Amino acid sequence: MSGPMRRIETDLLVVGGGPAGLEAARAAAEAGIAVDLVDAGFRPGGQYWMQDPTGAAPLSVQGEEGAAAIAKSQASGVAFHAGAEVFAAFPDRRVLANTADGPIEFVPRAIIVATGAHDRAMPFPGWTLPGVMTPGAGQRLAKLGGASAGERVVLAGSGPFLLAVAETLVKLGKPPVALIEARHTDLAIIAHLARHPGRWREAARLLVAARAIPERRSGWIVTEAIGDERVTAIRIAPVDRSGRIDRDRSETIGGIDALLVGWGFRPMIELTALLRCRHEHDPALGGWHCITDRASGRTSVEGVYAAGEVTGIAGAVPARLSGRLAGLSAAADLGADTAGDESERASLGEQLARARAFSDGLGRLYAPPADLATLAQDDTIVCRCEEITRAEIASAFAAGTDAVAGAKIWTRAGMGRCQGRICGAAIADIAAAETGITPREAGFNPPRIPLRPVPLSAVLEATRDGQE
Amino acid sequence: MGMKPGAGMKADAVVVGAGVVGAAVARALAVAGRRVVIIEQGVPGGAVSGASLACIGTHMMDEDELPLLKWCCDEWAAFAEAAPDFEYSRCGQLRFLKQESERRSADEWIGIETAAGLSPTLLDPEAVRRIEPELTGPIHAATWSPNSAVVNPFLAVRRLLEAAQAARATLVSRNPATALRVVGGRIAGVETADGPIEAGIVVIAGGPWTAKLAATAGVQLPIVPRKAQCLATVSVPRSIRTVVGACKAEGGVDAGYTQIQQAMSGQILFNTVLEGGVTAAGSPDDIPEVDRAFIRDSIATLLFLFPKFAEIDLLRSWVRYEAVTPDDRFLTGPAGPDGLFVAAGDGGTGFVRSLGMARIIADLVAGRESPFRRDLYDPARFDRRAAA
Repeated sequence: MSGPMRRIETDLLVVGGGPAGLEAARAAAEAGIAVDLVDAGFRPGGQYWMQDPTGAAPLSVQGEEGAAAIAKSQASGVAFHAGAEVFAAFPDRRVLANTADGPIEFVPRAIIVATGAHDRAMPFPGWTLPGVMTPGAGQRLAKLGGASAGERVVLAGSGPFLLAVAETLVKLGKPPVALIEARHTDLAIIAHLARHPGRWREAARLLVAARAIPERRSGWIVTEAIGDERVTAIRIAPVDRSGRIDRDRSETIGGIDALLVGWGFRPMIELTALLRCRHEHDPALGGWHCITDRASGRTSVEGVYAAGEVTGIAGAVPARLSGRLAGLSAAADLGADTAGDESERASLGEQLARARAFSDGLGRLYAPPADLATLAQDDTIVCRCEEITRAEIASAFAAGTDAVAGAKIWTRAGMGRCQGRICGAAIADIAAAETGITPREAGFNPPRIPLRPVPLSAVLEATRDGQE
Repeated sequence: MGMKPGAGMKADAVVVGAGVVGAAVARALAVAGRRVVIIEQGVPGGAVSGASLACIGTHMMDEDELPLLKWCCDEWAAFAEAAPDFEYSRCGQLRFLKQESERRSADEWIGIETAAGLSPTLLDPEAVRRIEPELTGPIHAATWSPNSAVVNPFLAVRRLLEAAQAARATLVSRNPATALRVVGGRIAGVETADGPIEAGIVVIAGGPWTAKLAATAGVQLPIVPRKAQCLATVSVPRSIRTVVGACKAEGGVDAGYTQIQQAMSGQILFNTVLEGGVTAAGSPDDIPEVDRAFIRDSIATLLFLFPKFAEIDLLRSWVRYEAVTPDDRFLTGPAGPDGLFVAAGDGGTGFVRSLGMARIIADLVAGRESPFRRDLYDPARFDRRAAA
């Protein structure tokens, strides 16, 4: 049974304890505002600054950075609520979270949403086999449990995050056996990097990790995962510079036991969407993202701010900067004495613009290939919760709907336990491939309360007073 | 994808709205040999119908409508025979009484329905548990109506649309009818962003959007949107067999209600409105979230009846706007200029009635006598009452 509900009145509620949320919370707390920070993990840090749940010393540079940031936030007086999953928010800005000790109702004057991102998975034949997971999941396993996804891991997909995972696996003494990057290595990447000397050190570090991988391919894509009980082999094919896959030149890589494949990240917009903030679609920013005023982090809804990946995929550096900006401007809007902050905010704004220019450029360079939505075959399961195949979804598009919402009503795709978080973007891409509309036009399934499955007893406890 | 209207798209009849009512009307007209275009602003079945709990039954519905409701239930059963793939299940319906004082209302309904040839009964808690073993909450009694059924609302709309399309109806989806075309005092079709669709007959089956479209031809209809909400749990093994509701109390349109059932997917779908639906201001296009009191009352009622379910996860909520009229009955029949008909005002129970409304429209269009009391649904009935 659920424990009793706790109600916490506060000035500012920060949702998400990654780089953006931690910086936002600290900035606001240092300005003299009462700040509560809620995070779903056992310990704050988020995916990027992930901390060992036992409190053991961090494995990575990022872990160390994160430990320092958490300590600073704590010293500034931020009240942390770890292991608390936000499942509802109402127009009056009340937020409900569930914890092992029962639900908490937050009654804040303002909210900063810093919920981060999740992996962008794309269905392909064999993707539901054990041993196939996203790079983010592989990274979590390594950072949280110190375990590799397998003994002979293949990293695949696209984007620099693959190299970050490679680095972690190398540190664990389990360097991946192959790296299959869809993008061709070319001068454009080098030229882009050349314009941002501040990122050279990080790039050099990642290249060292890449060199530990015996087989590296660029301009290749995994078209199938093969195995009975578990993935044991993959089919790969060349992909040309316009994103077309040449299946006639397919090859097989065998003797593997894990495949980490992903196409970058998507902003986790459930909470901002539930709060009715305005969103836009840009493939280079991970698709749908929350629109903010870059100088303040304000969303289109009064009293709601957003920072970090939820405002468009950009990585940890812009996340920290946008978090700090949102924290400072929320504090100012809440009446904190922020005289003298203007010059800092202006400087942060300039740094953020530079950092975003770098990441937006990377986002465009590592845009998923055009043929990605053709990987799933007719019998490939697209919605894993409800086990809906591509052919079933395509039949919905043929029968009279071209939207993600239509596919859901027609086939139940996206109606299961994950509520379309895993398959929603893929369905939009398939809609685009089948009907000629854009993924933006295909839309997304608006999130509804509860944002995550929560026991009925906890929801009842959290709504018992029924106040509107 | 459906077709796009363009220059010279013509039909005998345009049906506006591809919810269950529009799909049923389109099917009835197409089967009668008319060339039908059905136009939908969003996704077929995606608004009010898809969010419905789609109970097909007569129990505690409306005394005057009983003949029509009985006919509708038989028609649904016949359609389930003809197009079996929409999860039609004649599971029966229980309506619980919390206390002795509710007996009078229950007895009255049982009397009315028995006189009409139906077979509802009153059960004590032990008898209720033989039908619904997990219903262990401290109820006083429950009425039992064995003939009520449920359907999967998405699939039911699909099957009706497919039947209409098999009779050569054309579906145009994600394309709103923006205005009615009236030429020389007669209806001449509808306007869309892609051009007009010409037709001598237009049937607006647009639920809460009906009044807005009718107004483009100067027709005022007393239909207002009312917020209706629902919750769903994750899928669990089969544990609820029937449709469980609260005994209908006095209060008519504004009375509260409960409905609890388990879908074939295993999800438990439920809602409880204690104080009656609040008619919402504003547009039915702006769908809000469920409100806190609704969540509390719905879960509290579910757990009062089924205390074992406390640790099942809530998965989802949804909100829609259903169309309500002053007397909670459909507006079905001619309205305004010649050739214009409406079939809207579901009051949250449109699924069962949709086939009956389609029959009324088809009879009117064909100039046939209807077996049902048309006056109950006449769109002009409120004007007449005002005049009298």
